[in-house]
Amino acid sequence: MRKELIQTLRDVRMRVLLFGAPIIQLTIFGLALSTEIKNIKLAAFSQPEDAMFRRVAEGFYASGWFVRINHMPGADPFELIASGRADAALISPKEGLARSAGRGGGKIQLLVDASNAAKARAVEAYAKNIIAAAAVREYGARGEAALKFDVRVLYNPAMESSMFLVPGVMGMLACLITIILTAMSLTRERELGTFETIVSAPLSNAEILLGKTLPYILLGLANVVLVVIAGYLIFGVPVRGALWQLALGALAFVITTVSVGTFISTISKNQQQAMLGGFIFLFPAILMSGVLYPVENMPKAVIAAAYLDPLMYFVRILRNIMLKGGDAHVFWTNLGALALMALFAAGLAYKRFRQTLN
Amino acid sequence: MNQFNIHRAYSIARKEVMHILRDPFTLALALGLPVMLVTFFGYAIDYEVKNIKLAVLDRDNGPAARRLKEIFPASGYFHLVDIAPGSGPVAMLDSGRASAALFIEPGFSRKIKGGGAVEAQFVLDGSDNSKAAALIGYLPGIRRAAQVRLTGSPAREPSSFAPALLPGASKKRGSAKLLFPPNNPAGPRQYYPAGAAPSAESEADPFSAETRFLYNPELNSRWFTIPGLAAIIIGLLAILLTALTVAREWENGSMELLLSTPVRPLEIMAGKLAPYGILVLAGVFFVYFVARLVFGVPFAGSHVLYLAACLLYITAALSQGLVISVITRQQQVAMQLGMITGLLPSMLLSGFIFPVESMPEFFQYLTMLLPPRWFMAAARGIILKGADLGELAVPFLALGLLSAGMLALALKKFKTDLE
Repeated sequence: MRKELIQTLRDVRMRVLLFGAPIIQLTIFGLALSTEIKNIKLAAFSQPEDAMFRRVAEGFYASGWFVRINHMPGADPFELIASGRADAALISPKEGLARSAGRGGGKIQLLVDASNAAKARAVEAYAKNIIAAAAVREYGARGEAALKFDVRVLYNPAMESSMFLVPGVMGMLACLITIILTAMSLTRERELGTFETIVSAPLSNAEILLGKTLPYILLGLANVVLVVIAGYLIFGVPVRGALWQLALGALAFVITTVSVGTFISTISKNQQQAMLGGFIFLFPAILMSGVLYPVENMPKAVIAAAYLDPLMYFVRILRNIMLKGGDAHVFWTNLGALALMALFAAGLAYKRFRQTLN
Repeated sequence: MNQFNIHRAYSIARKEVMHILRDPFTLALALGLPVMLVTFFGYAIDYEVKNIKLAVLDRDNGPAARRLKEIFPASGYFHLVDIAPGSGPVAMLDSGRASAALFIEPGFSRKIKGGGAVEAQFVLDGSDNSKAAALIGYLPGIRRAAQVRLTGSPAREPSSFAPALLPGASKKRGSAKLLFPPNNPAGPRQYYPAGAAPSAESEADPFSAETRFLYNPELNSRWFTIPGLAAIIIGLLAILLTALTVAREWENGSMELLLSTPVRPLEIMAGKLAPYGILVLAGVFFVYFVARLVFGVPFAGSHVLYLAACLLYITAALSQGLVISVITRQQQVAMQLGMITGLLPSMLLSGFIFPVESMPEFFQYLTMLLPPRWFMAAARGIILKGADLGELAVPFLALGLLSAGMLALALKKFKTDLE
């Protein structure tokens, strides 16, 4: 077991890979990614004397979400969008907005490039609100609203993307690192022929397996600790719940992924297979974890599959502890699921491991 | 002796093909994986946020409160969950058993009947941003529909509400962001439950927006997800498969053997890349048929152009794999490096999920180093918008440059290793 740990840490490249890469990636993703859509390129089209429309358009540019795209008079809005120079075009009625509105129900046309459907949705939502506010500015509010919602956002009141993404990215990184460390380990030994040496040593199967996996479990945990500290220092993502809960969750998760990785490495005949196996596990695990897409949104059959995803449970635990301060019900149910998985995966890995030995 | 000899490259390729064929499991996986993953996730991923669990605390119990409660599930986005005994709405949010909670105070129905203004508090779980933002985006529509149902009078955006929603109202992002629907799936198009006519409301507005979605009029998430998914899976597969090839030869010691033959480095590279290129290209064809036949993704542009983009992209991804392979010389490290530089960056920074234009400027430049970012732009342009080569000159050029750069790097490193 010590041999494995030393071997892994001896290689400088390995050390960089293990400890440098997660921090770098966490920083990049945390800084770069935002669930907010920004810098939408908008071109406005109107008759030159249409002052009201121009005020409405200025409202768009002042919002901070839209970027002004200038165009020649007589340019074709469709052409601008087709060429990708604009994401959206705002077009005033021919007769002028004030005239059209005076006759009741003026329509400003909004063309949106929907080749990115998610972005198109955001653009429409922004535009609706900006135009509604402009209408109030121009004509004053008509009548008092009978019903209002007083909206409060809990846990992340400023709705900062990093607060929500960083715990998710942490989970993904922990998953990635443990799987890629273990998926090839045994396959490699078998290919190199060093496996026989270990097997011939006076150790029981369980001892060998434990010796082979424990270092990776420790490395995985060290990684989680590192990433949590980095998340706190760089992004100010708090840990509002108890640290022991976080530690317990991380332990169960790391045991699961290390076991899955070991299992992959026992069933693979060569390293190429092991790598593909790791990919087959990682890709769905990440997409179904709820970090990138809400799980509840998926079709029922897919949700059923997502319940087999250890990363989903771990991300739930992470988010609950870090942002919500830890709820006993959430913690214990998800931890229970993870523990079951850890047990099952470890058992499977052990069984396969014994078979390979014999 | 110094020239590139196609026959020698061909021999290397044949050897590599034998290697692939000897391992039917890998072959089947390499061919089947893209189709499997695209089908599964094409089906799974939907940007529209639905099935939001809403807990309602109704302290009023009047007829108006009941009607307000019914409006939410009628929108198609919410379903009501009962508040567990002994628990409150906020505890429901804490435990994740609800994503949002609505508080209706006593006297709600009475005030509505008397024609007064009422307020209902809406609390939501901000720990999942994309969901919370979508939720806030649904609220104005629901509010309008509710107002019609409760009072019978179509009312406009309340003056006190709209400016607060507005980003332009203040430059303070924090407070402005709070109330605004910033996000991916923000705007539903069907706010109105049956019975509440949307036109009644827009007639009352002096002017409003009439949105036309080009290229994907129904905002079908799949049309947009599937080309992206295909790009990511194909690219990753190409990186991972090639990352191991050269490293395998070093590890097995067969590289020395290969080098003692008169084969030139460039020939080795070409021979090693070609079979994997063909393998991955086969994956592209499968994915194409699934996308067209199963998911009905339209194809507006030129197939030839798309094929050219695929070839360039595959070359870039294979070259990236080759660089990794040449540098690491060890299969395990090669795989680790391939996964780390491939998986998360190509999923998160390529514009697949998070638009590149929304990133801070520095990171926009950083993404330029990623082949999938360019291919994503080219593929979506060709498939949905029918863009021509002139419009896609930049992505094509970038892909070409990246491939050439990485190939040169791999070759140089390979040559120095030999000396």
